[in-house]
Amino acid sequence: MAIEDKVFSGDTLRSGYRFQRHWDNSMAYAFIFAELGAGIYFISLLMNSLTGMIVGLVLVSTGKPYFHLAHMGVPSRSWRAMLRPDRSWISRGLLGLGAMIGTGFLYVIGLAFGEQFGIAADSGLLGLLKVASATFALVVMCYQGFAMSHSTAIGIWNSAIIPMASLLYSLSLGVAGALVLLPAAQTGGLADTQLLLLLGLAVMHVMLLHGGWHGSPGARTSVELLLQTSYSKWFWGMVIATGIIVPALITWAAPGNALLAIISGLAMLSGFCTWRILIFKIGVYEPILSMNPFHSAH
Amino acid sequence: MARMGMVFDLKACIGCNACVIACKQENSLPDGVFFTKTLSEEYGVFPMANRVFIPTICNHCEDAPCEKVCPTGATYTRDDGIVMVDDDKCIGCSSCSVACPYDQRTQMDADNFLKGLFGKGDITPFEEDGYGRYTPGTVTKCDFCSQRVDVGLDPACVVTCPTNARIFGDLDDEQSAPSKMIRERHGRPPLPEKNTKPKVFYVN
Ligand code: SF4
Ligand code: SF4
Repeated sequence: MAIEDKVFSGDTLRSGYRFQRHWDNSMAYAFIFAELGAGIYFISLLMNSLTGMIVGLVLVSTGKPYFHLAHMGVPSRSWRAMLRPDRSWISRGLLGLGAMIGTGFLYVIGLAFGEQFGIAADSGLLGLLKVASATFALVVMCYQGFAMSHSTAIGIWNSAIIPMASLLYSLSLGVAGALVLLPAAQTGGLADTQLLLLLGLAVMHVMLLHGGWHGSPGARTSVELLLQTSYSKWFWGMVIATGIIVPALITWAAPGNALLAIISGLAMLSGFCTWRILIFKIGVYEPILSMNPFHSAH
Repeated sequence: MARMGMVFDLKACIGCNACVIACKQENSLPDGVFFTKTLSEEYGVFPMANRVFIPTICNHCEDAPCEKVCPTGATYTRDDGIVMVDDDKCIGCSSCSVACPYDQRTQMDADNFLKGLFGKGDITPFEEDGYGRYTPGTVTKCDFCSQRVDVGLDPACVVTCPTNARIFGDLDDEQSAPSKMIRERHGRPPLPEKNTKPKVFYVN
């Protein structure tokens, strides 16, 4: 069945595909701040860039909570979201987020002012904080993907590729941040890593489209929405061309150029933001039942 | 222990929406909020065109994804299998809404309470009294009229249906009306491939 023949019932009383609209743009922005900030923090930690660590922590501790609370129906009760780490990825992630912000800021403060209090940069305490904050940053980089892929309701989200996408975008944006923030002399090897990550992102998108096309009716419908409707120009133009191809060409042709690194980073960020919003917009629920004898799942 | 469930007889449903109104009344549902909907589907072309009605409701899934993802424990299952939402614990994160394959969850926005059932902003004493049970911002859904089930009554939609298209009872009791109907008329759950084990079945 072609996409134009499918019934999208929206909020009407017709039977058909229904768009996921429960997680809206404010949730997408919360996801963006978390993955961007955690990625920049994680890579900066590896590259020993104090500025990068601070930028990452500020992004995670401001934008993420702000947009998450904006999405919440009863923000004053939000603390309750941490109560069920035994079963909910939202709980696990929020605990990870709190722990990342806590250990991360302690580590940064220790690095900046520790010497004054007799705490050396290579002391065991700071080493512990470094490992802990890196581990929690990894949780923040992935958990939103797991929260999406956890249930079978929305076919295109119900895939192991979704958490992988979170991790890959987070890492590549972290590297892009390091390429912007660090002097060229300190970024040896990062350009090659970035090219590999961008290749990984391209492969990830192919896998998501392929898996969705051959997956459940809902997943296939989402892929059709992405490729055959007005969303397609955003997908090809922003997510693929601007977000992956342009940065790959810049990184390959002019690896040490500071201005081009900024342009490349901004291009990746726009591709990432577009993808985050699109993946929410193309999520659909399947018709729960069809009495139509001519109805076919595909 | 009972395992409460429902059967929809698709041959009997005439799409009159009496169940929808009864539900809104029983549960004091504000403007724009429905716990049950009767969907319609058209197919074929004239002169062989047809229209069928498909009632929908929370399926009180045994393996309820909405409960699994709820970060606060607000969504829980009673001993009799009815999946509930504790209004006092819900934070309105909508995780359950994206996890429910049947799109059966609704957020009670503050706006929903402003218009009034007559759409002009006049809130009747009936509405004023009923709205008190909800906290704006929380996510809600059908609970099989648990307040009625607790005193031995059927849900409001079931008693209102003029064609007996909704049959409610204990699925663990082999002699109950829904159990017999599922057995004799090969009841099928909605979207079984989602592995949620619904306790609502359709027969035709
Ligand atoms: S139908 Fe949806 S809301 Fe109801 S129990 Fe199943 S998953 Fe939860
Ligand atoms: S909206 Fe309420 S019931 Fe739903 S998952 Fe969040 S806290 Fe639980």
